[in-house]
Amino acid sequence: MRLQLILIAATLASAGPARADGELSVRGAYYKERSTRVEQPMMDARFDVGEQGELRAHMLVDSISSASVAAGAAGTPFDEKRYEGGASYLHTLDIFRFGGGARASSEPDYKSAIASLRGEVALAQRNTILGLNLAGGRDTLSNEGAQSDIVDPIEGRLWTALGSLSVSQVLTPVLVAQGTYDLVYLSGFQENPYRSVSAGGTLEPERVPATRLRHAVQGGLRTFLPMTRTTLAGSYRFYVDDWGVIGNTPEVRVIQEIVPDLDAHLRYRLHHQTAADFYETTYPTADPAVEPYLTDDAKLSELTTQTIGLKLDVLASLVGIHGQLGQARAEAMFEYIIQSTYFGNAVAAQIAVTFPFRY
Amino acid sequence: MSRRARVTFLAVAAALSVAACARVKPYQREHLARRAMVSDEQPGEARFQQHARGSREGADGGTGEAGGGCGCN
Repeated sequence: MRLQLILIAATLASAGPARADGELSVRGAYYKERSTRVEQPMMDARFDVGEQGELRAHMLVDSISSASVAAGAAGTPFDEKRYEGGASYLHTLDIFRFGGGARASSEPDYKSAIASLRGEVALAQRNTILGLNLAGGRDTLSNEGAQSDIVDPIEGRLWTALGSLSVSQVLTPVLVAQGTYDLVYLSGFQENPYRSVSAGGTLEPERVPATRLRHAVQGGLRTFLPMTRTTLAGSYRFYVDDWGVIGNTPEVRVIQEIVPDLDAHLRYRLHHQTAADFYETTYPTADPAVEPYLTDDAKLSELTTQTIGLKLDVLASLVGIHGQLGQARAEAMFEYIIQSTYFGNAVAAQIAVTFPFRY
Repeated sequence: MSRRARVTFLAVAAALSVAACARVKPYQREHLARRAMVSDEQPGEARFQQHARGSREGADGGTGEAGGGCGCN
Protein backbone atom coordinates (compact mmCIF):
# COMPACT_ATOMS: atom_id res chain seq x y z
CA MET A 1 0.00 0.00 0.00
CA ARG A 2 2.80 2.38 0.93
CA LEU A 3 4.59 1.55 -2.31
CA GLN A 4 1.42 2.31 -4.26
CA LEU A 5 1.06 5.67 -2.52
CA ILE A 6 4.69 6.53 -3.31
CA LEU A 7 4.14 5.52 -6.92
CA ILE A 8 1.05 7.71 -7.20
CA ALA A 9 2.80 10.64 -5.50
CA ALA A 10 5.85 10.27 -7.74
CA THR A 11 3.67 10.08 -10.85
CA LEU A 12 1.76 13.20 -9.84
CA ALA A 13 4.95 15.01 -8.91
CA SER A 14 6.73 14.12 -12.13
CA ALA A 15 3.71 15.24 -14.09
CA GLY A 16 3.49 18.50 -12.14
CA PRO A 17 3.51 21.03 -14.98
CA ALA A 18 1.14 18.86 -17.07
CA ARG A 19 -1.71 19.17 -14.56
CA ALA A 20 -2.58 22.41 -16.26
CA ASP A 21 -3.05 22.71 -19.95
CA GLY A 22 -0.88 25.75 -20.07
CA GLU A 23 0.95 28.48 -18.21
CA LEU A 24 1.14 32.20 -18.77
CA SER A 25 3.99 34.16 -17.28
CA VAL A 26 4.27 37.93 -17.14
CA ARG A 27 7.66 39.29 -16.17
CA GLY A 28 9.33 42.65 -15.78
CA ALA A 29 13.12 42.83 -15.88
CA TYR A 30 15.35 45.79 -15.05
CA TYR A 31 19.08 46.32 -15.52
CA LYS A 32 21.02 49.41 -14.53
CA GLU A 33 24.63 50.37 -14.64
CA ARG A 34 26.43 53.72 -14.74
CA SER A 35 25.55 54.64 -18.32
CA THR A 36 22.98 52.10 -19.46
CA ARG A 37 19.50 51.20 -18.31
CA VAL A 38 17.37 48.38 -19.71
CA GLU A 39 13.70 47.75 -18.94
CA GLN A 40 12.18 44.64 -20.42
CA PRO A 41 8.53 43.60 -20.00
CA MET A 42 7.88 40.14 -21.42
CA MET A 43 5.29 37.40 -21.66
CA ASP A 44 5.95 33.67 -21.89
CA ALA A 45 3.26 31.09 -22.57
CA ARG A 46 3.26 27.31 -22.61
CA PHE A 47 0.44 25.24 -24.09
CA ASP A 48 -0.04 21.49 -24.06
CA VAL A 49 -0.94 20.33 -27.55
CA GLY A 50 -2.75 17.04 -27.23
CA GLU A 51 -1.10 14.41 -25.07
CA GLN A 52 2.33 14.64 -26.61
CA GLY A 53 2.94 18.14 -27.82
CA GLU A 54 4.12 21.28 -26.13
CA LEU A 55 4.05 24.75 -27.64
CA ARG A 56 5.95 27.65 -26.14
CA ALA A 57 5.86 31.28 -27.20
CA HIS A 58 7.26 34.53 -25.93
CA MET A 59 7.26 38.20 -26.75
CA LEU A 60 9.17 41.06 -25.20
CA VAL A 61 10.13 44.68 -25.53
CA ASP A 62 13.62 45.87 -24.66
CA SER A 63 13.71 49.54 -23.72
CA ILE A 64 17.33 50.65 -23.69
CA SER A 65 18.60 54.04 -22.53
CA SER A 66 22.30 54.65 -22.82
CA ALA A 67 24.81 57.45 -22.66
CA SER A 68 25.89 56.64 -26.20
CA VAL A 69 25.12 54.38 -29.12
CA ALA A 70 28.36 52.56 -28.39
CA ALA A 71 27.03 51.80 -24.93
CA GLY A 72 29.55 52.54 -22.24
CA ALA A 73 31.48 55.28 -24.01
CA ALA A 74 30.85 58.98 -23.69
CA GLY A 75 28.62 60.30 -26.42
CA THR A 76 25.11 61.21 -27.40
CA PRO A 77 22.37 59.82 -25.15
CA PHE A 78 19.86 57.61 -26.91
CA ASP A 79 16.70 55.65 -26.20
CA GLU A 80 15.84 52.64 -28.27
CA LYS A 81 13.30 49.85 -28.27
CA ARG A 82 13.84 46.29 -29.41
CA TYR A 83 10.93 43.96 -30.08
CA GLU A 84 11.33 40.19 -29.95
CA GLY A 85 8.97 37.28 -30.48
CA GLY A 86 9.51 33.57 -30.67
CA ALA A 87 7.79 30.21 -30.61
CA SER A 88 8.85 26.58 -30.39
CA TYR A 89 7.16 23.21 -30.50
CA LEU A 90 8.31 19.89 -29.05
CA HIS A 91 6.61 16.56 -29.71
CA THR A 92 7.10 13.45 -27.62
CA LEU A 93 7.07 10.04 -29.26
CA ASP A 94 7.96 7.23 -26.87
CA ILE A 95 11.57 7.86 -25.84
CA PHE A 96 12.07 10.59 -28.44
CA ARG A 97 11.30 14.28 -28.25
CA PHE A 98 11.79 16.50 -31.24
CA GLY A 99 10.72 19.81 -32.62
CA GLY A 100 11.85 23.24 -33.62
CA GLY A 101 11.37 26.90 -33.17
CA ALA A 102 12.03 30.36 -34.48
CA ARG A 103 12.77 33.75 -33.01
CA ALA A 104 12.85 37.22 -34.53
CA SER A 105 14.03 40.52 -33.16
CA SER A 106 13.77 44.04 -34.50
CA GLU A 107 15.28 47.35 -33.45
CA PRO A 108 15.80 50.50 -35.52
CA ASP A 109 19.21 49.51 -36.86
CA TYR A 110 19.29 45.74 -36.34
CA LYS A 111 17.08 42.82 -37.38
CA SER A 112 17.67 39.23 -36.39
CA ALA A 113 16.03 35.90 -37.19
CA ILE A 114 17.00 32.50 -35.80
CA ALA A 115 15.51 29.08 -36.51
CA SER A 116 16.32 25.96 -34.52
CA LEU A 117 15.74 22.20 -34.48
CA ARG A 118 15.93 20.09 -31.34
CA GLY A 119 15.97 16.36 -30.74
CA GLU A 120 16.16 14.39 -27.49
CA VAL A 121 16.27 10.73 -26.61
CA ALA A 122 15.60 9.31 -23.15
CA LEU A 123 17.57 6.17 -22.33
CA ALA A 124 18.01 3.80 -19.41
CA GLN A 125 14.48 4.19 -18.02
CA ARG A 126 14.73 7.94 -18.60
CA ASN A 127 17.80 8.23 -16.40
CA THR A 128 19.83 9.48 -19.34
CA ILE A 129 18.66 12.18 -21.72
CA LEU A 130 20.76 13.06 -24.74
CA GLY A 131 19.93 16.20 -26.69
CA LEU A 132 20.99 17.82 -29.93
CA ASN A 133 20.17 21.39 -30.85
CA LEU A 134 20.92 22.94 -34.25
CA ALA A 135 20.26 26.57 -35.01
CA GLY A 136 20.93 29.02 -37.80
CA GLY A 137 20.51 32.77 -37.74
CA ARG A 138 20.74 35.74 -40.02
CA ASP A 139 21.19 39.28 -38.70
CA THR A 140 21.14 42.46 -40.73
CA LEU A 141 22.40 45.84 -39.67
CA SER A 142 21.65 49.22 -41.13
CA ASN A 143 22.12 52.62 -39.55
CA GLU A 144 19.27 54.08 -41.56
CA GLY A 145 16.94 55.58 -38.98
CA ALA A 146 19.35 55.04 -36.08
CA GLN A 147 19.99 57.74 -33.47
CA SER A 148 23.58 58.40 -34.43
CA ASP A 149 25.83 61.21 -35.67
CA ILE A 150 27.15 58.88 -38.38
CA VAL A 151 25.51 59.90 -41.63
CA ASP A 152 27.35 57.54 -43.99
CA PRO A 153 25.26 54.45 -44.65
CA ILE A 154 26.44 51.32 -42.85
CA GLU A 155 25.08 47.94 -43.74
CA GLY A 156 26.12 44.47 -42.75
CA ARG A 157 25.01 40.89 -42.40
CA LEU A 158 25.90 38.25 -39.89
CA TRP A 159 25.28 34.52 -40.22
CA THR A 160 25.21 32.35 -37.12
CA ALA A 161 25.31 28.56 -36.89
CA LEU A 162 24.99 26.68 -33.61
CA GLY A 163 25.44 22.99 -32.85
CA SER A 164 24.83 21.94 -29.27
CA LEU A 165 25.05 18.55 -27.57
CA SER A 166 23.62 18.02 -24.12
CA VAL A 167 23.39 15.17 -21.65
CA SER A 168 21.46 14.88 -18.42
CA GLN A 169 22.14 11.90 -16.18
CA VAL A 170 20.26 10.87 -13.04
CA LEU A 171 22.89 9.45 -10.72
CA THR A 172 20.90 8.78 -7.56
CA PRO A 173 17.37 9.63 -6.35
CA VAL A 174 18.74 13.00 -5.21
CA LEU A 175 21.59 13.71 -7.64
CA VAL A 176 21.56 14.75 -11.30
CA ALA A 177 24.51 15.58 -13.55
CA GLN A 178 24.23 17.67 -16.68
CA GLY A 179 26.57 18.77 -19.44
CA THR A 180 26.41 20.86 -22.61
CA TYR A 181 28.81 21.48 -25.44
CA ASP A 182 28.13 24.40 -27.79
CA LEU A 183 29.88 25.07 -31.05
CA VAL A 184 29.02 28.41 -32.64
CA TYR A 185 30.28 29.76 -35.93
CA LEU A 186 29.74 33.40 -36.82
CA SER A 187 30.40 34.86 -40.23
CA GLY A 188 29.86 38.43 -41.31
CA PHE A 189 29.63 41.88 -39.78
CA GLN A 190 30.58 41.67 -36.10
CA GLU A 191 31.71 45.20 -35.43
CA ASN A 192 29.82 47.85 -33.54
CA PRO A 193 29.49 50.47 -36.28
CA TYR A 194 29.31 53.28 -33.74
CA ARG A 195 32.51 52.34 -31.89
CA SER A 196 35.65 54.32 -32.66
CA VAL A 197 39.13 53.20 -31.68
CA SER A 198 42.16 55.37 -31.03
CA ALA A 199 44.79 54.34 -33.59
CA GLY A 200 47.79 56.32 -34.79
CA GLY A 201 46.49 59.47 -33.13
CA THR A 202 43.12 59.39 -34.88
CA LEU A 203 39.78 57.73 -34.24
CA GLU A 204 39.17 54.80 -36.55
CA PRO A 205 36.08 52.60 -36.98
CA GLU A 206 36.32 49.30 -35.16
CA ARG A 207 37.34 46.33 -37.28
CA VAL A 208 37.36 42.69 -36.19
CA PRO A 209 37.68 39.37 -38.05
CA ALA A 210 34.74 38.42 -40.26
CA THR A 211 34.50 34.94 -38.74
CA ARG A 212 34.52 33.62 -35.20
CA LEU A 213 34.48 30.03 -33.96
CA ARG A 214 33.35 29.64 -30.36
CA HIS A 215 33.41 26.56 -28.13
CA ALA A 216 31.73 26.38 -24.74
CA VAL A 217 31.57 23.37 -22.43
CA GLN A 218 29.41 23.47 -19.37
CA GLY A 219 28.95 20.81 -16.70
CA GLY A 220 27.01 20.77 -13.48
CA LEU A 221 25.66 18.76 -10.57
CA ARG A 222 22.40 19.32 -8.74
CA THR A 223 21.39 17.60 -5.51
CA PHE A 224 18.57 17.72 -2.99
CA LEU A 225 19.17 17.33 0.75
CA PRO A 226 15.91 15.96 2.21
CA MET A 227 16.95 16.63 5.82
CA THR A 228 17.18 20.38 5.34
CA ARG A 229 14.96 20.67 2.21
CA THR A 230 17.90 22.28 0.42
CA THR A 231 18.80 22.03 -3.26
CA LEU A 232 22.45 22.64 -4.13
CA ALA A 233 23.60 23.26 -7.69
CA GLY A 234 27.13 23.81 -8.92
CA SER A 235 28.34 24.29 -12.45
CA TYR A 236 31.45 25.19 -14.36
CA ARG A 237 31.73 26.54 -17.87
CA PHE A 238 34.83 26.71 -20.04
CA TYR A 239 34.90 28.87 -23.15
CA VAL A 240 37.46 29.31 -25.90
CA ASP A 241 37.31 30.95 -29.32
CA ASP A 242 39.63 31.65 -32.21
CA TRP A 243 39.87 35.34 -31.30
CA GLY A 244 41.92 34.30 -28.27
CA VAL A 245 39.25 34.74 -25.63
CA ILE A 246 39.32 32.06 -22.92
CA GLY A 247 36.66 32.14 -20.23
CA ASN A 248 36.14 30.29 -16.95
CA THR A 249 32.80 30.54 -15.17
CA PRO A 250 31.99 28.66 -11.98
CA GLU A 251 28.58 29.14 -10.38
CA VAL A 252 26.89 27.88 -7.22
CA ARG A 253 23.25 28.06 -6.23
CA VAL A 254 21.50 27.23 -2.99
CA ILE A 255 17.73 26.86 -3.07
CA GLN A 256 16.25 26.62 0.38
CA GLU A 257 12.66 25.68 1.08
CA ILE A 258 11.70 28.15 3.82
CA VAL A 259 8.26 26.61 4.23
CA PRO A 260 6.38 24.44 1.75
CA ASP A 261 5.60 26.58 -1.35
CA LEU A 262 8.18 29.26 -0.49
CA ASP A 263 11.76 28.92 -1.75
CA ALA A 264 14.69 31.28 -1.36
CA HIS A 265 17.45 31.12 -3.98
CA LEU A 266 20.96 32.38 -3.34
CA ARG A 267 23.42 32.50 -6.26
CA TYR A 268 27.03 33.35 -6.80
CA ARG A 269 28.65 33.42 -10.23
CA LEU A 270 32.24 34.22 -11.08
CA HIS A 271 33.31 34.91 -14.65
CA HIS A 272 36.84 35.59 -15.78
CA GLN A 273 38.04 35.86 -19.34
CA THR A 274 41.24 36.72 -21.13
CA ALA A 275 41.41 39.43 -23.78
CA ALA A 276 41.11 38.82 -27.50
CA ASP A 277 44.50 38.55 -29.20
CA PHE A 278 44.05 41.85 -31.03
CA TYR A 279 42.43 43.90 -28.22
CA GLU A 280 44.18 47.17 -27.29
CA THR A 281 42.94 50.36 -25.65
CA THR A 282 44.99 52.36 -28.20
CA TYR A 283 46.91 51.31 -31.29
CA PRO A 284 50.19 52.87 -32.50
CA THR A 285 48.96 52.88 -36.10
CA ALA A 286 45.74 52.37 -38.06
CA ASP A 287 47.61 50.82 -41.02
CA PRO A 288 45.72 47.59 -41.83
CA ALA A 289 49.00 45.98 -42.89
CA VAL A 290 50.30 46.42 -39.34
CA GLU A 291 47.06 46.33 -37.34
CA PRO A 292 44.46 44.36 -39.31
CA TYR A 293 42.02 44.55 -36.42
CA LEU A 294 41.17 47.43 -34.11
CA THR A 295 38.94 47.15 -31.07
CA ASP A 296 38.74 48.61 -27.60
CA ASP A 297 35.48 46.77 -26.90
CA ALA A 298 35.41 46.08 -23.16
CA LYS A 299 33.77 42.71 -23.83
CA LEU A 300 36.95 41.63 -25.57
CA SER A 301 39.25 42.82 -22.77
CA GLU A 302 40.46 40.76 -19.84
CA LEU A 303 37.64 41.06 -17.36
CA THR A 304 36.13 39.64 -14.21
CA THR A 305 32.47 39.65 -13.32
CA GLN A 306 30.96 38.56 -10.03
CA THR A 307 27.23 38.17 -9.63
CA ILE A 308 25.44 37.78 -6.32
CA GLY A 309 21.76 37.04 -6.59
CA LEU A 310 18.76 36.44 -4.36
CA LYS A 311 15.38 35.20 -5.50
CA LEU A 312 12.14 34.43 -3.68
CA ASP A 313 9.69 32.05 -5.28
CA VAL A 314 6.23 31.57 -3.76
CA LEU A 315 3.13 29.61 -4.73
CA ALA A 316 -0.34 31.09 -4.18
CA SER A 317 -1.27 28.03 -2.13
CA LEU A 318 0.94 29.47 0.62
CA VAL A 319 -1.70 32.11 1.33
CA GLY A 320 -4.58 29.65 1.34
CA ILE A 321 -5.60 29.77 -2.32
CA HIS A 322 -6.59 26.31 -3.47
CA GLY A 323 -7.31 24.57 -6.72
CA GLN A 324 -5.69 25.48 -9.99
CA LEU A 325 -5.07 29.07 -8.94
CA GLY A 326 -3.16 27.78 -5.96
CA GLN A 327 -0.46 26.77 -8.43
CA ALA A 328 0.00 30.38 -9.52
CA ARG A 329 3.51 31.52 -8.70
CA ALA A 330 5.19 34.81 -7.95
CA GLU A 331 8.92 35.49 -8.17
CA ALA A 332 11.10 38.41 -7.14
CA MET A 333 14.80 38.48 -7.95
CA PHE A 334 17.64 40.88 -7.29
CA GLU A 335 21.22 40.68 -8.52
CA TYR A 336 24.29 42.79 -7.81
CA ILE A 337 26.90 42.52 -10.54
CA ILE A 338 30.50 43.55 -9.90
CA GLN A 339 32.21 44.31 -13.22
CA SER A 340 35.89 45.10 -13.65
CA THR A 341 35.28 46.96 -16.92
CA TYR A 342 34.45 50.64 -17.40
CA PHE A 343 30.78 49.69 -17.48
CA GLY A 344 30.97 49.71 -13.68
CA ASN A 345 28.88 47.71 -11.28
CA ALA A 346 25.28 46.92 -12.14
CA VAL A 347 22.04 45.93 -10.51
CA ALA A 348 19.40 43.72 -12.06
CA ALA A 349 15.93 42.89 -10.81
CA GLN A 350 13.01 40.84 -12.04
CA ILE A 351 9.47 40.28 -10.85
CA ALA A 352 7.14 37.72 -12.38
CA VAL A 353 3.79 36.05 -11.92
CA THR A 354 2.87 32.76 -13.57
CA PHE A 355 -0.67 31.48 -13.91
CA PRO A 356 -1.72 27.97 -14.91
CA PHE A 357 -4.80 27.79 -17.14
CA ARG A 358 -6.99 25.34 -18.99
CA TYR A 359 -8.42 25.77 -22.43
CA MET B 1 47.05 7.43 -29.20
CA SER B 2 47.89 10.91 -27.98
CA ARG B 3 47.57 11.91 -24.34
CA ARG B 4 44.63 14.21 -25.15
CA ALA B 5 42.82 11.41 -27.00
CA ARG B 6 43.42 9.00 -24.09
CA VAL B 7 42.05 11.49 -21.57
CA THR B 8 39.01 12.12 -23.76
CA PHE B 9 38.42 8.39 -24.23
CA LEU B 10 38.70 7.73 -20.48
CA ALA B 11 36.33 10.62 -19.69
CA VAL B 12 33.73 9.34 -22.16
CA ALA B 13 34.14 5.77 -20.91
CA ALA B 14 33.75 6.91 -17.30
CA ALA B 15 30.63 8.90 -18.20
CA LEU B 16 29.09 5.95 -20.02
CA SER B 17 29.94 3.65 -17.11
CA VAL B 18 28.21 5.97 -14.67
CA ALA B 19 25.22 6.17 -17.00
CA ALA B 20 25.09 2.40 -17.32
CA CYS B 21 25.16 1.87 -13.54
CA ALA B 22 22.57 4.47 -12.61
CA ARG B 23 19.07 3.02 -12.63
CA VAL B 24 16.81 5.22 -10.54
CA LYS B 25 13.29 3.78 -10.65
CA PRO B 26 10.25 5.96 -11.38
CA TYR B 27 9.00 5.58 -7.77
CA GLN B 28 12.35 6.92 -6.52
CA ARG B 29 11.96 10.21 -8.35
CA GLU B 30 9.97 12.18 -5.80
CA HIS B 31 12.85 14.52 -5.03
CA LEU B 32 14.04 14.65 -8.65
CA ALA B 33 10.63 15.97 -9.69
CA ARG B 34 10.94 19.02 -7.45
CA ARG B 35 11.01 22.20 -9.49
CA ALA B 36 14.33 23.26 -7.99
CA MET B 37 15.83 19.96 -9.16
CA VAL B 38 14.50 20.27 -12.70
CA SER B 39 15.38 23.91 -13.23
CA ASP B 40 15.28 26.86 -10.88
CA GLU B 41 14.96 29.34 -13.75
CA GLN B 42 11.96 30.24 -15.86
CA PRO B 43 12.62 30.71 -19.60
CA GLY B 44 12.16 34.48 -19.40
CA GLU B 45 14.52 34.81 -16.47
CA ALA B 46 17.25 32.80 -18.19
CA ARG B 47 16.72 34.63 -21.48
CA PHE B 48 17.15 38.07 -19.90
CA GLN B 49 20.27 37.01 -18.00
CA GLN B 50 21.79 35.48 -21.11
CA HIS B 51 21.02 38.63 -23.06
CA ALA B 52 22.59 40.88 -20.43
CA ARG B 53 25.70 38.71 -20.16
CA GLY B 54 26.05 38.48 -23.90
CA SER B 55 26.27 42.25 -24.14
CA ARG B 56 28.83 42.57 -21.34
CA GLU B 57 31.00 39.45 -21.63
CA GLY B 58 32.82 38.24 -24.71
CA ALA B 59 32.74 34.61 -23.65
CA ASP B 60 29.08 33.68 -23.52
CA GLY B 61 27.65 30.38 -24.69
CA GLY B 62 27.34 26.93 -23.19
CA THR B 63 23.62 27.26 -22.65
CA GLY B 64 22.56 25.28 -25.71
CA GLU B 65 20.86 28.35 -27.14
CA ALA B 66 21.94 30.64 -29.91
CA GLY B 67 22.82 33.98 -28.37
CA GLY B 68 22.94 37.36 -30.01
CA GLY B 69 19.91 38.53 -31.86
CA CYS B 70 20.51 42.14 -31.05
CA GLY B 71 22.83 44.90 -32.05
CA CYS B 72 24.07 45.53 -28.53
CA ASN B 73 27.64 44.50 -29.24
